Amino acid sequence: MSTGAKPPDPTVPDPTTVADPAEPPAPTFDWMGKSRQWGVRVKPGRHGLRLGDLNVGIYGEVPEHWPDQTRNPRGAIPKRGVPPLGYAIRDKVALWAEGAADLYEEAIQRRWAPATDIPWHTVQPLPEPLERAICQVCTELCQYANCEIETISSWQHQMAYGYHEVKQYLATATFDAARQFEAFRKRALVGGGGLGLEGPGEVNRMILESRGGWTEAVTYLFLLRGTFTLTLLRHLEPAAQNEAEAALYRHALEDKARHLTYALEHLRYAMAHQPDLPLVMQQLLLIGHAIFARELKDNVLREALAIVFAGGLEDAADTGLARYRRMMGDFMRRYLRTCAWLGIELDPEQMPPRMTRYLA
Amino acid sequence: MSDAVTAGETLDLGWMERQGEWGTRARPGKQGLTLADIQIGSYGETPDFSDNMTGRPRGAAARPRSYRVGGYSVRTKSEIWLENASFLYEEALQRQWSSATDVPWHTIRPLPDDIEQAECQLATFLTEVEFVAGDVPARWISQTTPDYFEPRNCLLAQVMDESRHMDVFRKRALANGGGLMSATGGTAGVVGSIDLARDFTEMSSRLHISGEGAVLTIFRMGELMAYNEAEKAIYRLCAQDEARHVAFGVMHMRYMAETAPERREEIECYLDEAERQILAGSQNPAGNRTISSEALAILLGGGKAHHDEGFRKLIAIRKRQLQEYVKRVRSAGFGERFENGRSNLKGMLEATAA
Amino acid sequence: MPEFPSEAWFEAVRAVYNGDDRYRGGGAGACHCRAAAKIGDAAYLIVFDGAECAETRRIGADELADVDFYLEMPPERWQAMIDDIAANGGASLRFTLNTLDLETDGGIARSVHGDQYREDLFFRYNQTFQYFFDASARIADGSRLESAGG
Repeated sequence: MSTGAKPPDPTVPDPTTVADPAEPPAPTFDWMGKSRQWGVRVKPGRHGLRLGDLNVGIYGEVPEHWPDQTRNPRGAIPKRGVPPLGYAIRDKVALWAEGAADLYEEAIQRRWAPATDIPWHTVQPLPEPLERAICQVCTELCQYANCEIETISSWQHQMAYGYHEVKQYLATATFDAARQFEAFRKRALVGGGGLGLEGPGEVNRMILESRGGWTEAVTYLFLLRGTFTLTLLRHLEPAAQNEAEAALYRHALEDKARHLTYALEHLRYAMAHQPDLPLVMQQLLLIGHAIFARELKDNVLREALAIVFAGGLEDAADTGLARYRRMMGDFMRRYLRTCAWLGIELDPEQMPPRMTRYLA
Repeated sequence: MSDAVTAGETLDLGWMERQGEWGTRARPGKQGLTLADIQIGSYGETPDFSDNMTGRPRGAAARPRSYRVGGYSVRTKSEIWLENASFLYEEALQRQWSSATDVPWHTIRPLPDDIEQAECQLATFLTEVEFVAGDVPARWISQTTPDYFEPRNCLLAQVMDESRHMDVFRKRALANGGGLMSATGGTAGVVGSIDLARDFTEMSSRLHISGEGAVLTIFRMGELMAYNEAEKAIYRLCAQDEARHVAFGVMHMRYMAETAPERREEIECYLDEAERQILAGSQNPAGNRTISSEALAILLGGGKAHHDEGFRKLIAIRKRQLQEYVKRVRSAGFGERFENGRSNLKGMLEATAA
Repeated sequence: MPEFPSEAWFEAVRAVYNGDDRYRGGGAGACHCRAAAKIGDAAYLIVFDGAECAETRRIGADELADVDFYLEMPPERWQAMIDDIAANGGASLRFTLNTLDLETDGGIARSVHGDQYREDLFFRYNQTFQYFFDASARIADGSRLESAGG
């Protein structure tokens, strides 16, 4: 590996060569013996030493409000007088999910690498319309991943240190999205095709512009779009043309299911602690459904999926679209069930027909 | 545009004529299908300036009516690019590790109280500062056009790495009869800090070159002074990650030096500032007279009673830190500052070591 | 069992390393690097290409200029490290590569070119190099990998 760096001039003295200090400075040791709780000995269990295992004694006390705007680790003795870093999300209710620590460890244990964990050599030439359809679907999934990356990473640094489990879990979620952005691009470029047409972007805009708080972003990004993507991946897996696609959709599905788990736990927690939130969510989703339905009007993804589900162009208009309708039905039922489980009352009569027609 | 979803619908298929470059067949190589393998045709071309404001994947066909939702502030290639971003990202994916299962926690045994306190103080410091390198890159990721997804993916991998570092040191503090100790305020919202940089290269010079370069030495030192296999593994694995982040900074700065000479003087100013912070700031645990440097001296000396011996080792390590920093800045193409009198590193070291 | 140091010894270690997937886990995945071990007057090239150690062979001193970094210690120090690895099934706390580097004046990881970016590969791939030398404990009997971390 050549880097072309300039070698140092041997005639110039090393700028870091200085005399050693005569005597070490007298230590103060005034930090010793100071801890809010000493004597903690967390033992590794059958699955190693996990983040959640550390929540013992004061270290497991997650306060409702975290006023500290520094990087003081939860349970450490704070340093006074540190200029604040401006963390905006400092309430547990705004981001918490009980299972965040476990999801964090699960994401690490179930990591995969698109370069080597997908059997790319199994991708063989396909008829052009089918290849075009797969490439179109991959392009849109790539753009979904991009939206996820940009949304989560714009909130992450605003979350206070007191809720480090969530910050850490979200680091795995953006890493998952980076991997999906990469993996779907790879699929589009490995089979003799290329990237397709960018998506309509209306739902992406709605997600990226959700400025009312992280909970609102979670609602649009995970509850609505995430449930849709999960359903999409579930239906793509049996339609895979080769082992590579099957593995890709399976891995992406696992990642997505983890994201949804966080989202549902957080939304449930947030709604349990904010009496008005179900109504707010209802309003948000009313707007969200209208935008989601407008995007459904776009025929590109629908037609591409129909071709993929039918395994080619020939049967796309009948069996392919029938599978598409089935997928949308699955999505709608799951989505409504999830909202009901969360305590959000959605009346299908008030939802856009472009969504509810699949419930029939 | 067709809206039919009922049986009997015909397909429009007009979109098939509006796709990106066609006929791309990337071939997996010995290392699988890497990002380098898919840099084919127009898909491998990265624009010097990105006008992609809709978040479309690079090379996808644009829809004229798409919303400009990106709002990206990083749209100039030289601001964020480095030649080996794809390589570093793939390396990060391949070399991930788990703090739960890849550290032999069972090898930790009770230590003398002064040693355990020093370990816990250092672990508290590292838990505190490691995620500055998670918070800050995350903010820049959201502001970078996806046309430069290779460096962006590197930064996403970094956020993941830092998350693991934050957790592994918390685990170490709570695994052996100790606990967290005092936060140091090592990263704060003050002018010149990593957090507040409003330019990516400014941030990278502070974070990747001086900040993480210094912490890399600390991790190597941690491996040296480990009291068990678990600590050895923690520090060694963290050092690997940190070296990757430092490599990002060096290669980005080199790209910047080569492609944006008009920004050279500005970058020299960032380096001036970074060098002032290296020993005087509290971000470097081996810096002068900090809580962390006392803890390090105890660990290096083998106990509180051997602090002075440990401190002498610390001085040697501080020099190593600076030597490596100097060589990295040289590698990045800014070595002249050490020859033309611009850098005051030697004077600062003399002043602060005494 | 081949003698240390010799081309046959490095080849035997390479065979053990390449034959056990556990050496690719625990934070030591793909590695792309040309390094060398300098033992007295002799130097041995060690090339990693992704998941495998692709090549080991004796090289001349002039070829050290082409490697990213090389590890140099007096022969007796090398021998002590190899003996420690053999006795413990892997390097004990005092004999890991990084510890030896920091405890040696000027370090053991060096380069002809002086480019820190390339020298940093010693840190970036440290676990891989540790695994490689730890694998020498298994030349004789192909015994088990001792610990994930070490």
